[in-house]
Amino acid sequence: MVVRRVLPQFIVSLVIILMLIFYFFYINDDVAKTFSADDKALSDWAVIISSFALIVGGVDIFRFHLTQLRRGGLKQAPFSVVTLIAELTMVVFGAYGLALSYLNPALGITITTQPQFRWLYTYVYAPSDSAMYSILVFYIASASYRAFRVRNPMALLLLIVAIIVMLGNTSLGALIWPGFLPLRDWIMTIPNTAAFRPITIGAGLGVIILGLRMLVWREVSWMGRRE
Amino acid sequence: MNISFEVIKASPQAKNKLLALAIIVILLVTVIVVGALLKVKLFNPKVPVSSFVILATLLIVGYLFMIQAMEGVTFPVRKISAFDAIEEGVARSVEMGRPVHVTIGYGTISSSMAPQYVAGLGVLAHVARLAGKYGAKLIATLGVPEAIASVEELVRDGYYSAGRPELYNPTYNVRYFTDQQFAYASAVQATIVRENVGANIVVGPFYAESLIFMEAGNMTGAFQIAGTARETQIPFFVITADYAFIGEEIFAAGALASGDRVVLASIRGQDLGKLITIALVVLGIILLGLGLKLSDWLNWVWTVG
Repeated sequence: MVVRRVLPQFIVSLVIILMLIFYFFYINDDVAKTFSADDKALSDWAVIISSFALIVGGVDIFRFHLTQLRRGGLKQAPFSVVTLIAELTMVVFGAYGLALSYLNPALGITITTQPQFRWLYTYVYAPSDSAMYSILVFYIASASYRAFRVRNPMALLLLIVAIIVMLGNTSLGALIWPGFLPLRDWIMTIPNTAAFRPITIGAGLGVIILGLRMLVWREVSWMGRRE
Repeated sequence: MNISFEVIKASPQAKNKLLALAIIVILLVTVIVVGALLKVKLFNPKVPVSSFVILATLLIVGYLFMIQAMEGVTFPVRKISAFDAIEEGVARSVEMGRPVHVTIGYGTISSSMAPQYVAGLGVLAHVARLAGKYGAKLIATLGVPEAIASVEELVRDGYYSAGRPELYNPTYNVRYFTDQQFAYASAVQATIVRENVGANIVVGPFYAESLIFMEAGNMTGAFQIAGTARETQIPFFVITADYAFIGEEIFAAGALASGDRVVLASIRGQDLGKLITIALVVLGIILLGLGLKLSDWLNWVWTVG
């Protein structure tokens, strides 16, 4: 009970209070420097913990795909095989680079500069990543098509505004009518900003109240019930 | 919004909590006054003092509402249609014999996105409980390794608390893919399509991958509920989801999911914050008309010392 419930909540409350003190208070130059250093130390701890979590993640991926190979059937097997080979290959080359960085520092090779690791990252991972990003174009088109169907007056308004903004973003728009560009700028700067700002402020207020709930040990959803 | 303080029937517990709160406020005021008298540079000169005052006010008022709730006062809570739709989505998936998919966002959990992860975890806990109640298959996908343990715990709790431990299979229910954005997006998309999910619940911090998830859900004809506080992604969710949590609603959803009267009371603090903001905006407009800038006062920094 104490280790699984009280301790995590105590740490969360302590960190919230410390972060508030580090952010708002100054006292004098020396204290402010100490606050700044402690703030950075806390952030560094978070990064270190995240790095360990990555190891857990790697093991989790391995475990999941091994299970899929055993039980997932032929439909899933090719994907799991590719994932497992890719994961093991990157781990082997990465570990090789890490070993070289310690055994022969004069070579100047680290994990990320290990030639095979870098080649795989640059010529396999990066293009695949870009390809996924580019798929967004088609998704935006299909989502826009559904969103811009004129079903009511509000949808018509949305369609008109969208057309103005789209034309304002293209050179064709300026050719049709030079007024599209300033009109687009006005829409994006005035009504768009006015609509977004309350959402941003509301989200900020939500974060403050969530912080309060965590501070007084009332927000426990992230821990599960642990009964 | 009807915000009012009801008279607290002072139980010993409430008295202690109010006393502690009063001591904190008195200490804070004393420190500020003594600091000013001794000319100590109390506050960070890079941060406006108004932000501290607003924060402290919201925390104190929010806590007062919570104390009232502890004493048995029940506050009416606004309805969030996207939250109510979650149960419909889970039940619908069970009827169709299809799994429910939940993902809680992408990014570094140690960044400013952390509160949105906590909100996403709150929604996941609610979905897991409903999955246990209706016997739905739940698939929680992840792009954040730090959250694996929490997500496994929440999904397990959902099934166990409903008396359905046999439905919990961590390898099937919880799937961490990677912390690389588009690799994660690709894996989630593939999961939604291959598993033919009946409900696609996407709540948390999202970036460009948001639309990929929603369109994948649309391909399978899934019932879609989405939400984020990242304003650049909200339009994508609004136009593609059947129900959307807009901005701060995802934080309120976590409170609604808890079903705890005291937690729900904290939403009143959030709503009061909105009233204060609206009042400040109106005051700012009036003062601007009089040739005065409210922002000059709000941006005042502690220069004493």
